[in-house]
Amino acid sequence: MNPDDIVFAPVILPLFGAALALFSKAFLKGRPAVFLEYAGVLLGLGLPWLAFLQTAPMAFAGNTFQGIIGGWHPAIGISYSYDGLTWLVNILIFSIGIAAWLYSVGAGPKGPVFSTVFLIQIATLAMTITTTDLFNLFVCLEVMGITSYVLIAFSGKPGASLASFSYLMVSATAMVFFLLGFYGLYRLTGAISYLGIVQGLQGLADFGGITANISLVMIVAAILVRVAIMPLHNWLPDAHALAPHAVSAMLSGVLIKVPLFALLRILITIPQGMRIGEVLGYTGALTALFGVVLALSQRDAKRLLAYSSISQIGYVVSAWGMALQVGMETNLGIILMASAFLHAFYHALFKALLFLSIGTTIDRTGVRDVLVRRGSIAILRLQGERIPVTFLCFLCGALAIAAIPPFNGFASKTLLAHALKGNLHYLLLGVASAGTVASYIKLSRIYWPRAKDAEAIDAMVASEPFHRIHWTIHASQSFLAIVCLIGGMAITTIFPLVVRAVGAPGEGLEPSVSLYSVDNLIQTLVITLGGGLLYLLASSKPGCRILYLLRRQRHTFQGLFVSFAVVCAVLSVLI
Amino acid sequence: MMGKRTLWHKIQILVTMGAVAVFLIPVFLFGSPWPMAARDYLEAEGVQDSGAVNLVSAIYLGYRSFDTLLETIVLLVAILGTLGLMTQIETILGKEQKTTSKTITFSLSDDKRSSHVLRTHLLEVVTGKLSPIVLLFGFYVMLYGHLSPGGGFQGGVIVASGIIFLSLGSGLDASAKFSGYKALGRIEAAAFLLLIVVSMSGIFLGKGFFGNPLESVTVLPAGFIILLNAIIGLKVGTSIGLMCIAMMGRKA
Repeated sequence: MNPDDIVFAPVILPLFGAALALFSKAFLKGRPAVFLEYAGVLLGLGLPWLAFLQTAPMAFAGNTFQGIIGGWHPAIGISYSYDGLTWLVNILIFSIGIAAWLYSVGAGPKGPVFSTVFLIQIATLAMTITTTDLFNLFVCLEVMGITSYVLIAFSGKPGASLASFSYLMVSATAMVFFLLGFYGLYRLTGAISYLGIVQGLQGLADFGGITANISLVMIVAAILVRVAIMPLHNWLPDAHALAPHAVSAMLSGVLIKVPLFALLRILITIPQGMRIGEVLGYTGALTALFGVVLALSQRDAKRLLAYSSISQIGYVVSAWGMALQVGMETNLGIILMASAFLHAFYHALFKALLFLSIGTTIDRTGVRDVLVRRGSIAILRLQGERIPVTFLCFLCGALAIAAIPPFNGFASKTLLAHALKGNLHYLLLGVASAGTVASYIKLSRIYWPRAKDAEAIDAMVASEPFHRIHWTIHASQSFLAIVCLIGGMAITTIFPLVVRAVGAPGEGLEPSVSLYSVDNLIQTLVITLGGGLLYLLASSKPGCRILYLLRRQRHTFQGLFVSFAVVCAVLSVLI
Repeated sequence: MMGKRTLWHKIQILVTMGAVAVFLIPVFLFGSPWPMAARDYLEAEGVQDSGAVNLVSAIYLGYRSFDTLLETIVLLVAILGTLGLMTQIETILGKEQKTTSKTITFSLSDDKRSSHVLRTHLLEVVTGKLSPIVLLFGFYVMLYGHLSPGGGFQGGVIVASGIIFLSLGSGLDASAKFSGYKALGRIEAAAFLLLIVVSMSGIFLGKGFFGNPLESVTVLPAGFIILLNAIIGLKVGTSIGLMCIAMMGRKA
């Protein structure tokens, strides 16, 4: 066995687990079938952690495993590269994956077919971040897409199939443009690996000129559809809101981030990457701002969370783009990218936590509207939850996303703010943070003590038969909540590690940031108070009216296609 | 109001399509020569490297075999999703009205033969007799993919049509068992497991992921490609056959 082969553990083990789960469905019945399915999941989601342990020293030392799958000639084989960034993103994928699968055991959709598709999705995500071959990236994005369509449709809720179908149409259209861009780059350079393309472009006059630019822009825009950056976000709210809760956690936590970091691998070396990064940095900051306004306007709890994901991915993209702009060789670039990854990771944790705890609550209370439902804690207690675990988990998640110390959101947002200080992004993100606070105050209404006339509802809920909340639901939620808390407390250890994994730090790099300085705490206080004020404004009469108009906006496929064209045009003009 | 809106939509889509077309011109109409590196390499080394005379299969089962694995997975997930959706629709329809799902076949059940004497048995006989030949041809295309045009995917689709013939032609006799829902599902799951095991077996033999595990076992240079073609063919054939049979209402 070759020591380098360990890098395929996160890809091949989940695939093997998926095959076992499918096998159990076809050949076995009853207990043995469940046993084999769970064994497959354990193999697929658990065993890769050993590989991560094994490769951790190499990831933090800045080493890279590179090669060609099957050992073929580089001009034609599939090249891969497993470095610190791959390691970090793999940790993100597998930690959310475990929590989401555990939750699905208790709350559904469960069963061998779900496990199979879920594990295939995990494997593809791991491969997406490992590959350095443009065509392989295309295939990975395709599999990632098709598994999400199937997983979304699993929920069986009215509208879920339609949401899944419109997601399918949108990403299939975007992938056509990806292929066109791939064709353009291949025509120019004759290479399909990232390295070959970069070398080919450097040999051309003006780095390939307008053909290269347009091809690249189409690839970038197609990937940005998956990331759901602002004009390309329309497919996301329906898909994320109507999916089963475990799948929502996976979609919002992982699926919108992995393509972004896979895109980084292309842009990091390509000559045009710097300008694209700059443009995307500003787009990200604007996305954070507008996304949160839309989130604040929602009444459906899960749609609010979905729009909030768009806003939070905006935070990540703004630091990510800025890092590309200043260059990943510089200390500032490394710090920015490390903060971007850290926020992506922490967002995955607390957004998954929020989706799961809100999911449990709306399943149990039967109402998704945050303005209608009150007193969810009492209802959950009537259904056998003696300690309000779900509410406490929600509280952890909400405090984290609102950047209240000592939760992890405070750490990552402060680091982002610190790295972006002195730019326009900083101001935009600050306002967006206040909006986040306001929208989560709105969401927390479903837990507020009930209004006087709500006792009738409670009597109705209590009279209906119910199942006890499965222990895996609580286990999964508590796991995420604890990780959120630890991630915030141990930031002084975690951040330097992330910095070392993202890039080899140069001289004079000081990754340690004093988080709990007076400045930062005052800033948090101002943002929180601003958020409270914003919530009051939003619940006033004119505020409600504006939000109603925003909420009424309809999303069409055509609108998304037009914005896709606009994004392509704007990007190609600006680079 | 509505008319205005559709007109506006039409203008919007026309302008966008036009803009996209203009936008794509630089990608398609430019004078640089076609890149030759990969072609020249394949011409010089392709047969030697992979042992396959058909260079297409050398590419998709040799150089890019991991892409092919993922494409097989796309088909698997698509079919799992389709079957899942069909079950969902059935439960929704079942709630509204008790639909007795009629199995579709060309053959008549024994109790109806006397009342339908005038009906021809032509289709039933032809599809029944043709299916072994179609299956055989499918396996030929599958196993000779390294020498002639064809391969696992193409052969698999032909095998699937053979299975459908078998299912349409036979009523409820012994040959129907072979095209049964359960048997196909089993072959599909086993083929998928085998595909994963074969693709990772190189790791344990020191040849790397998707390395050729048969290198030291067989003298046949294209042995690994033949093996992969056979597994993928079985997988594709049973997957597509399974879906068609489910659509014919023979799920039980």
